Amino acid sequence: MVKKIFRVDDMHCPNCTMRVESIEDDLPGIKQVSASYQKGQMLVEYDETQVSEAQIVAAVKARGYQAVMAVSS
Amino acid sequence: MNQIIVAFVTGLTTGGLSCLAVQGGLLASSLAHQLEQDVLNQPSARSKKYGHKVSQSRPQTALPIALFLGAKVVAYTLLGILLGFLGSVLTLNATLRAILFIAIGIFMVGNALRMLNVHPIFRYFVIEPPKFITRYIRRTAKSKGGSQTRPDWITPLFLGALTVLIPCGVTQAMMAVALATGDPLQGAAIMAAFALGASPVFFIVAYLTTQLGSRLEGLFMRFVALVVLILGLVSINNGLNLTGSPLSARNLSQTFFAPQQSSQASSTIPSSTLTLTVANNGYWPRRLYATAGEAVLMNAVTQETYSCARDLVIPALGIETLLPATGTVPIDIPPQPVGTVMRFSCSMGMYTGEIVFGQ
Repeated sequence: MVKKIFRVDDMHCPNCTMRVESIEDDLPGIKQVSASYQKGQMLVEYDETQVSEAQIVAAVKARGYQAVMAVSS
Repeated sequence: MNQIIVAFVTGLTTGGLSCLAVQGGLLASSLAHQLEQDVLNQPSARSKKYGHKVSQSRPQTALPIALFLGAKVVAYTLLGILLGFLGSVLTLNATLRAILFIAIGIFMVGNALRMLNVHPIFRYFVIEPPKFITRYIRRTAKSKGGSQTRPDWITPLFLGALTVLIPCGVTQAMMAVALATGDPLQGAAIMAAFALGASPVFFIVAYLTTQLGSRLEGLFMRFVALVVLILGLVSINNGLNLTGSPLSARNLSQTFFAPQQSSQASSTIPSSTLTLTVANNGYWPRRLYATAGEAVLMNAVTQETYSCARDLVIPALGIETLLPATGTVPIDIPPQPVGTVMRFSCSMGMYTGEIVFGQ
């Protein structure tokens, strides 16, 4: 399991965090997503053997937001 | 009874928009499942602004919004019972109320500036429900979406009840009033009246924003933000009045644009016996002249006065007294030096006046 932070700059309201966090229900291998409207980012804890960064970015994009990998924690 | 009517009118006039500004996110979450069902069931397009799918036909949001508001009324009534009970064991004095109003005002101004996208720092004025609750709601709504035509009742009801955790500024002010009643039934009646009063405007604005295109929605929310900004500034001003601060709007304008009008003051000759008329719409005269260096007696006179003006606060003397609806109450003021300006106000910081000490 790894934890990585992705910048999600275009969350425009608190409801957006719920939309972004919903990727944890759809992508196997994601343990938890914690999005922050204030900071404009999300922390994703996931199993690298089951899901890739590209898949995470694509899932966020499907919900209408642009995610960019920031730093790993 | 008067307080209940005031609470209802407050909700009707300002509560709806103020609540929507703060709780709109929760409402959007409660509608999200409904909107996603509409997208799945009907033709859809991509939102040009945000990229996510939107329904091309009008979404069915009236019932979820109504459920949301119904749950909110019930939750606020229960909160009123709790506040009334707490008020019977705690006291919120004028200074604490002043701090509360100023804090509420700052919260509202910050929220408005967030909505107007002035700077990312204002995002921190948002109160979000705990993650475990939003996660529970999301998964509950998803699991109930097995039949895509079955509406989800639980989400709007649950999130409507949750609004009690993120009260808007005007709600917070009403909570202070409910607390001050010291009576669970009165507290419940005030909060219920406020929530009911806020519901029509909340419903209309929320419903229209789900029906309008994104451009009109943006304009609407900017209007809401401006209203909240003004309410926030008024709340800060009321808090300043309650402390007797010279920085409140009225006191500043009197300092810089000096002379009092004849309707604002009676005689300008200082006296050691003053008469203050306390009416439903405030104090007359607003400026009294007292003799410096000797004890002064001020008679506060009421005549069928039922407004908050009855709750007279004189911060410099630590006086907060509830005057009778009709009668005369003597207030002893110890000697004050020449040039002292002693300000007073109602308990909400709305009606104000001052006593100027001279020779």
